[in-house]
Amino acid sequence: MTDVRFSLNGEAAEVDVEPRELLLDTLRDRLSMTGAHAACEQGACGACTVLVGGASVRSCLMFTVQVNGAEVRTIEGVGSPGALHPIQQALSTHHGLQCGYCTPGMVLTALEMFEADPHPSRDEIVEWMSGNLCRCTGYINIVGALEALAGTAEAQS
Amino acid sequence: MTAVAPPVAPPETTTGTLRREDTRLLCGQGEYLGDVQRPDLKHIAILRSPLAHARIRDIDVSGALTLPGVIGAFTGAELAADTGTFNHHLEAIPTLRQINWSVLAVDKVRFVGEAVAAVVADSRYIAEDALELIEVDYEELPAVSDVEAALEGDSPQLYEDWGDNVFLYIPGPHGDTETAFANADGVLEEKFTHHRIIGLPLDGHGALGEFDPATGRLVLHASTQIPHFLRTVLAEITGLSEAKIRVVAPDMGGGFGNKVHMVREEALVAVLAMRVRHPVVWKQDRTESLTASVHSRQQVHNVEAAYRNDGRILGLRAEIIADVGSPELYVIGAGPAIVTTAIVPNCYDLQDYAFELRCVATNKAPMGAYRGYGQGQAVFLIERVLDLVGEKLGIDPVEMRRINMIPDEQRPYVTATGAVLDCGSFHDQLSDLLEGADYDAACRRRDEARTEDRLVGVGIAQMVEATAPNIHGLAGQFGVYEMAMLAVQPDGKVNVVVGTKSQGQGHETIFAKAAADELGISPDDVTVSDGDTGVLPYGSGTWGSRSVVMGGGAVIKAARQVRDKMVAIAAGLLDAPADQITVSDGFFRFGEAAIPFAQIASAAYLHTFLLPPGMDPGLSVIVGYDSFNTSPFPDERGKMNVAATYATAAAAAVVEVDPATGVVSVGDLTIVHDCGTVMNQVILDGQIHGAVMQAIGQTFFEELHYDENGQPLTTTLLDYAIPTFGDVVEPRIIHRETPSDLIGGYRGAGEGALIVVPAALAAAVHDALVPLGVPITQANLSPPRLRELLRGHSAA
Amino acid sequence: MKPARFEYVAVESVAEATEALADSEDARVLAGGQSLVPLMNLRLARPSLLVDVNGLGALSGFEARNGTLRFGAMCRHRFLETDPAVRRQAPIVAETAGLIGHVGIRNRGTLGGSIAHADPVAELPALLVALDGNVVASGTTGERTVPAAEFFAGPFMTSLEPAELLTAVEIPAHSEGDGGAFSEFVLRHGDFATAGVAVILHRDEGGACDRLRVAGCGLGPIPMDLSAAGEFLLGESALTDGGADELGRRVAAASDPTGDVHGSGEYRRELAAVLAADAVRRAWGRAGSAGRG
Repeated sequence: MTDVRFSLNGEAAEVDVEPRELLLDTLRDRLSMTGAHAACEQGACGACTVLVGGASVRSCLMFTVQVNGAEVRTIEGVGSPGALHPIQQALSTHHGLQCGYCTPGMVLTALEMFEADPHPSRDEIVEWMSGNLCRCTGYINIVGALEALAGTAEAQS
Repeated sequence: MTAVAPPVAPPETTTGTLRREDTRLLCGQGEYLGDVQRPDLKHIAILRSPLAHARIRDIDVSGALTLPGVIGAFTGAELAADTGTFNHHLEAIPTLRQINWSVLAVDKVRFVGEAVAAVVADSRYIAEDALELIEVDYEELPAVSDVEAALEGDSPQLYEDWGDNVFLYIPGPHGDTETAFANADGVLEEKFTHHRIIGLPLDGHGALGEFDPATGRLVLHASTQIPHFLRTVLAEITGLSEAKIRVVAPDMGGGFGNKVHMVREEALVAVLAMRVRHPVVWKQDRTESLTASVHSRQQVHNVEAAYRNDGRILGLRAEIIADVGSPELYVIGAGPAIVTTAIVPNCYDLQDYAFELRCVATNKAPMGAYRGYGQGQAVFLIERVLDLVGEKLGIDPVEMRRINMIPDEQRPYVTATGAVLDCGSFHDQLSDLLEGADYDAACRRRDEARTEDRLVGVGIAQMVEATAPNIHGLAGQFGVYEMAMLAVQPDGKVNVVVGTKSQGQGHETIFAKAAADELGISPDDVTVSDGDTGVLPYGSGTWGSRSVVMGGGAVIKAARQVRDKMVAIAAGLLDAPADQITVSDGFFRFGEAAIPFAQIASAAYLHTFLLPPGMDPGLSVIVGYDSFNTSPFPDERGKMNVAATYATAAAAAVVEVDPATGVVSVGDLTIVHDCGTVMNQVILDGQIHGAVMQAIGQTFFEELHYDENGQPLTTTLLDYAIPTFGDVVEPRIIHRETPSDLIGGYRGAGEGALIVVPAALAAAVHDALVPLGVPITQANLSPPRLRELLRGHSAA
Repeated sequence: MKPARFEYVAVESVAEATEALADSEDARVLAGGQSLVPLMNLRLARPSLLVDVNGLGALSGFEARNGTLRFGAMCRHRFLETDPAVRRQAPIVAETAGLIGHVGIRNRGTLGGSIAHADPVAELPALLVALDGNVVASGTTGERTVPAAEFFAGPFMTSLEPAELLTAVEIPAHSEGDGGAFSEFVLRHGDFATAGVAVILHRDEGGACDRLRVAGCGLGPIPMDLSAAGEFLLGESALTDGGADELGRRVAAASDPTGDVHGSGEYRRELAAVLAADAVRRAWGRAGSAGRG
């Protein structure tokens, strides 16, 4: 077992894990951060996306031991029911989610996008988001929500 | 009645959410099956067959039991001793093979991925370690993965006692096809094929079981579209009474029909929870989902269509062969193919129609439901026939449809198979489509493109969808009805509990609105829940585009009953006749006098001396709601009305084919959609968007591959491609609202676009390839498959 | 779908890494993990030891030296795609890196990892072959440089020794008259290529093509060097449509693809023709855009 310390949504976290434990499982099963979801465990769908050092990563393809000393941000550190992040608000307003299973990953990828570029074009949005699969919405309203935000200044957190 | 709806503008407000579900889902606070946590939770991993067909000689789990952290390891033979079996409950069908199967395979495996043993351990990691220590002695048998090969006399047989692989045979000789064919000017003969795909909710199946030996109660959390049906089946498997079983379906990451079946693992979890006396969870991983849950669509149609030279289709004969894989699935996986046979006449006046259905077992994963439920294959068949006959006769697709469509004046129109169509005007719907798609202009642009050697095509298709169907004939039990509970609490806030189960369709939002509108209060005062058999006696779940029709109807019925009682209370308090009390904005009014809604509630519960003499206290009802117009069984002529009502749609697509790569670009897509009264257009449009994308996926991206020995080749999401952001096709949506006669006037929605769009895309690709003379008779138009087709024609 | 047990060491130097690799029977290097971890989750890869080289910051930069660009093995795809200096000095590398997976994958995936994994459908190995680059490998006894042409031994097989760490990749620096393009066919944006073709060429001051290299991914068991197919264009000053299509035909004929769920061998061969023609047109135009030809 390996002692791993990292920053989780701005707070110190410490876990004792086998090297093989995936970051996704540690977040969900040990730290009760269940917003990142398992859907493919192959890096193909993006439902488990979290930010490590501000960069989106597939938490199903990282071992927890690899985030020792890193800053990890999950959906639980983005907005709260009483204070939705503008990305979250836009997704709701534009009906950009249905079952919601992929939604946390969408929000985190969009967060990274807007931090890199507050005003992405439609094509750039598609390019940024293409690694996050959704089976419900047909993507139309997700793109619509992010396009609307790209025209505003409030996308950055 | 017709309204070309402008795109719905999202609400102006930047506070609050469009749907009440949204807040928790956006914040990662949804509770999907995998998110349900319990102290001391143990994890189940399942050993699955690596062989497509084999006899199990012996299983030795002793190695697994030595591993630290392992609680138990179980074989099918061991569990079978005190566990019930699944069966289809369709003993009444003489041409159906009767089979029983267990929570784990016992004697034989029939597909790669079939569950043969289970381990319970402290973590999924350890449980998977333990699987590697289980030894299974298999006697490998020859396998068959191709459905037509499975029908050959020398094919390997999945069930030796059958004598062949035909799981279900149904003949459907409707009308007089002999005369129709005798009178025909010509006969079109074609073979159509539909490939194997999967509904693929991103959140797969899974179950978490808790058993309390002290009370003998079992709670099973399961990601299921049909919690009450599952409870009934769990009672059969576990031997517990339904009163001791509670099934809870939490938030669901999609369903799409995949979860309208009770996979054996759900019952396995219940059985293991009772054995190991710990809460246990099994969460389907993606390889399990792709190889061992529920596949869909795969059919072969051999069709003969008798036509007159004026374009009229006089009669149709269809041999429908469905590749059901392993038939060990409940509700029966033959269901969609049975529905295919019923829907073939579609919106056309085709009474002389005969089919023969063969559902054939092969060494592949079970086939079953996926959004559309066999109706897309039927629509593809008849719409292709119309185009191909029209092509022979030089009659354009629109005219072919007008010639054959059910006339407007015949309502209800009873189809050859007994469907009682209560739909609006098909002619008007088609006109709306042509106008909305600017069809003539699209055809002109196609013709211009052809002069530049570009392969542009325009295609149209129409559909009738059986909504809120009766599942009794497919399940041997369960009906078409729905239940709802509505309770006004003492503070005047309202709980609604429905027997449908949202998987993302926004039921908390729409049912709150439905109840609030009846009660004259704000939707904010209504809390909706679903998916808990411990709260509502029964419910039929969400599938078959039924939730708004049946769940909405039940909610409205319940709200009306409670409102009537509240009106009676108000009448007493206001000293007014009940029929002169009005209800709005949270008040019961009589003239200038008004009593707040909450005050009536408190009278009913707290100040019961205020109630009219003899009135029972409380303000709650549980209602059952049935449309009373469906048939559970076919009549003596094989006809049945399968659905409470029928929704309709039509689609037009414009595509361009790149002949070098086989890539099809969808340039334009128009859908006319009539689901009766629209409950919430934003959510409805979202359903259509999603169904369109799934139609794009089905047609151009998705295919489950098996090799000839039954080895699955698409085992991860790297191999099975569902569309992503770059593949967006934004449809132009035109809503028609022809109310049904049911409560609320609803017809049901969610599936229509996935039923009709693939046929429209196929028609458009066919049209694009006219210069090359390559007919489209297959649903799979992925780039490699389309190239294959083009390569086969020397012209390309 | 959970990985089997393994030992783990996060190394801080190349020497430490190669020693760890030498000490263990079936150790694997963990770089970006975007190819290895999926295989481990399926237990198709089950190393006894993972040597995590993500701490080797010295391997994550690039430098120009004597007409050669040397990229550290730990350059992430996202860095290659977005770094202004890489985009300027090695535009074809930046363009190709941008074709790999999605942002979340490119944030982790590394150049060295992609080359060492030697997936026959991956883009960077094919690009390296087209660029006639080198692989630099370090072992316990020192460093050696392997030409790309000798590096790839088969599907997922290279000439790396078990105890060697791929530390750098070298390619010729971009110079006047160079033009390169990578064309690939993917079913969906971000997928592994069903097939891909890289064309790297040079046009002299008169505009004549005096060097032309072609390599493909998804067109054989290894990144295929298909340069012989383009020899007929050497000396040509103009690329005709017929010339581009002829290259396509020759590339297709020289390919040796096999089929899988993403497409048959025949389909990949057809794609090769389309992609090679497209790549050579783009590369030719880029080579000429330096103000000559």
